[in-house]
Amino acid sequence: MSGRYNRLLLGFSALALTGLAVFALTLGSYPLRMADLALLAADDGGDTMAASILADIRLPRILLAVLCGMAMALSGVVLQTLTRNPLAAPGLVGVEAGAGLTVLVAMILWPTGLPVVFYPLAALLGGVAVALVIAGLAWRQGISALRLLLVGVGMTAILAAFSDLLITYGRIERVESALLWLSGSLHRADWSQVRSQALWLLAAGVPVLLLYRQFNLFQLGEAVAGSRGLDTWRFQIVALFFSVMLTASAVANVGTMSFVGLLAPHAARLLVGERQGVLLPLAAMIGAGIVLLGDTVGRTAVAPLQIPAGMVVAIIGAPYVLFLLSRKGGTT
Amino acid sequence: MPDPLRLSGFVLIAGVLILAALLHLRFGASPLGWHVVWQALTAWSPDDAAHNIVTEMRLPRLYSAMAVGAALGLAGALMQGVTGNPLADPGLLGVNSGAAFFVVAGLLVLPGGTLAMVPWLAFAGAITAAAVVILNSGSTAAPARLILSGVMVGALFSALTTSILLLDQQGLETLRRWLVGSLAFETSGMRRMVLPFLALAAGIAILNIPGLNLYRLGEQSAGLMGLNVRRFRLTSLLAVVLLAGSSVAIAGPIGFVGLVAPHLARLVFGPDFRLLVPASPLIGAVLLVLGDIVARVVVRPLELNTGIVTAIIGAPVFIFLVLQRVK
Repeated sequence: MSGRYNRLLLGFSALALTGLAVFALTLGSYPLRMADLALLAADDGGDTMAASILADIRLPRILLAVLCGMAMALSGVVLQTLTRNPLAAPGLVGVEAGAGLTVLVAMILWPTGLPVVFYPLAALLGGVAVALVIAGLAWRQGISALRLLLVGVGMTAILAAFSDLLITYGRIERVESALLWLSGSLHRADWSQVRSQALWLLAAGVPVLLLYRQFNLFQLGEAVAGSRGLDTWRFQIVALFFSVMLTASAVANVGTMSFVGLLAPHAARLLVGERQGVLLPLAAMIGAGIVLLGDTVGRTAVAPLQIPAGMVVAIIGAPYVLFLLSRKGGTT
Repeated sequence: MPDPLRLSGFVLIAGVLILAALLHLRFGASPLGWHVVWQALTAWSPDDAAHNIVTEMRLPRLYSAMAVGAALGLAGALMQGVTGNPLADPGLLGVNSGAAFFVVAGLLVLPGGTLAMVPWLAFAGAITAAAVVILNSGSTAAPARLILSGVMVGALFSALTTSILLLDQQGLETLRRWLVGSLAFETSGMRRMVLPFLALAAGIAILNIPGLNLYRLGEQSAGLMGLNVRRFRLTSLLAVVLLAGSSVAIAGPIGFVGLVAPHLARLVFGPDFRLLVPASPLIGAVLLVLGDIVARVVVRPLELNTGIVTAIIGAPVFIFLVLQRVK
């Protein structure tokens, strides 16, 4: 029964995500109807204006939202499984801030030096560095989740201070776009970003999905996992690296959206529990849905102005996390 | 406090504060000689440009730094006492962001926003954020939960602030420096406006000293020994809100001073709140004056924001405390 329930659930969420994406295609300052979409899909040649808006503006933006949401959600699941703490999101433990800071440096201090394609690599560098520092600091005969979280909070504060430094003293025209990016915005979305994000998702997300058996084993505890033939030490390092890669690529493309990596895994866990084979793809789809929804609301709610998707997600996500905390008691 | 060792501790801190204040007056975009500073203070002549730099630009800023530092130091001491949590800090717990959001929203969104409203907006924001965080922290002093609630509240309010500013580019241009904590604005009017509130908060803190000491034994024992726990918590919270709100009204959100000052005070004077309550604001003032000197000297003739300096120095202290206290 559970296998069928899972398949149904996955199928349903894929369907819902597709529906949301198609619906988002019709929204915007140039309104399109579903019927127009069908005509364009049939390649009737009719409205070239609409066709170009779809192909050049809306489609890449929506695809990017979906891909980034997937990356962030997967990264969150991995980090939470590794630390065995449902609060250990990339945004909370500082990985996202580290990746964000390196990209910000590239954007503000050295805007011509680094082609946009390499931003994910720069972000990866920052993310890995911060992850190593935080893991090293929190290490005491194994990583204690509590120490990890609190050290992450402190590290995030330091990195945020340096980001603030750049934002306050950078040239205002660069700062404005950097600030938009920092608060998680898809306004620059184009096909090259979609390609880059898709590549990174292939490189890091697909392996994570394929590793679900190992994640299941790891959850039983290191002793059990070890006795079943899992090299836990190597597994942790590889998984952590994939997680940072996913976060870094998303940060480089759309900026920081701290709450996706926290919310999506949590919502998925409510639905399917800890079975990683279902949890991972489901969380990815929920993450995609959250980012897509946040972006769609952000660009249509107060049009023609745009609120960055990350802000929408934070405004909805923070109260949800507060609610979680208040329910959980003093254990975390 | 008859102990001469402790008295000398206070004398030492006061000495450091005076020294820091003089350094603050001397260094800046244009460094002045000691004799110029001295003359400006003792024999001020209105025609001398250097004198005017000291009295018109640096002295008000020094006062602001001292007021804000003292307010934050005291707020931190009270918060750490009331929550029983050594990591509490008005910046970290989102109180400052709450106040900042209300100020920004009030000034930019409400029609007819004037500067006179700023303290009230800041108090309202501080109360809102503090209430959410405290309600969430529960009765057990679980450090992670309190801090995480604070971080979430902070994230929520900064997201709201950023959204408003992104919709209002002009507001971004004028407020982006204030939002990271800056003492660079002429704030004597604001200082005068919040002074009564600071005095009120200081009075509450002094009256609550016995309560703070009893509360260290735990909520129940304190209640058994005759402390009205409810009133104690409410009045302390009120004092924290007044202190944090006032400091935000003057200088924008400045973090970590409220975390570091009480810990330094504890290093010198031990855990007795009879000593901590006067010492924490003194040390807070020293820290912020020093931070402001660093902020103005490092990239002369430009300046850093004081809030950035305190975060860069204070956050490592936070990490250190976590590593020591949290197993």
